[in-house]
Amino acid sequence: MTLKADIKILIVDDMTTMRKIIKNMLTQIGFTNITEADDGAVAWPMIQNAIKEGSPYEFIVSDWNMPQMSGLDLLKNVRATEGLEKLPFLMITAEAEQGNVVIAVKAGVSNFIVKPFSPQVLKEKIDKIFK
Amino acid sequence: MSIINDPSMKEIVIDFCNEAEELFDQLEQALENLEENPSNTKELEKFGQIIDRIMGAAKSIGASEIALFCELGKVIGYKSSQVKDIPLIEVVGAILFDSLHMLRKMVTALKLGDDKSMANLNTKAFATRLTWLSAKFKDIDRASCAVDNLSQSSIDDIMQSLGL
Repeated sequence: MTLKADIKILIVDDMTTMRKIIKNMLTQIGFTNITEADDGAVAWPMIQNAIKEGSPYEFIVSDWNMPQMSGLDLLKNVRATEGLEKLPFLMITAEAEQGNVVIAVKAGVSNFIVKPFSPQVLKEKIDKIFK
Repeated sequence: MSIINDPSMKEIVIDFCNEAEELFDQLEQALENLEENPSNTKELEKFGQIIDRIMGAAKSIGASEIALFCELGKVIGYKSSQVKDIPLIEVVGAILFDSLHMLRKMVTALKLGDDKSMANLNTKAFATRLTWLSAKFKDIDRASCAVDNLSQSSIDDIMQSLGL
């Protein structure tokens, strides 16, 4: 499938630097409808509100380690919500441990990417998720 | 080209430095709390969590020396939070204070684009000291403290074997 440029994307990362880097990469890839949240605890109500407003997010890109709600807990909340069982969810982390990958897969992650990464790697993962 | 060497990405590098400086203040507070009460090892756990956040961004912009310091600081913080040996914890606190001081200097040099200052910091010797300290905790298993991080291709293989 050809992915729409205006697919509704939410970037979740507590570091402004990382949000800027990821947004920059997604923009380079061609995406135009990108929103940011600085923690899972901020993202979760945004995701719920977007559903209520009839304009749900179509793709979540989330960091793992965040101070209030981790990416893993955000993922678990998403997967436990009716209608969001298949919402594409890309986890980004600096932790490249086998255990973490298995935990994320069990929780229903769509794909997993390790920092640092290039726009090409990000695009490959997105293509794989949406193929 | 990494972000750190890309003139068009200077704004992101400055943002990183400003953000890191704010988090350094939190790290310092955690170490001060530990210094007041060395048995309060939750402060070391907190140190590990905060420095982990800086590490991810440092790796992403290509600030490899800063990322290495953060990675070692994270492992030491997380693992030492599980020991009860107060004299050892006091040594850990002192060395982490020193590494934080070094990290501040490295980030200042990065912010100012001062390569000469960075070169004069002798970070390699200090990294060796941190590596030595982290080895003291090698027998402690702790999530998020992988000895050898997997490559993206290894991760992809695992994902594939798990059906993704």
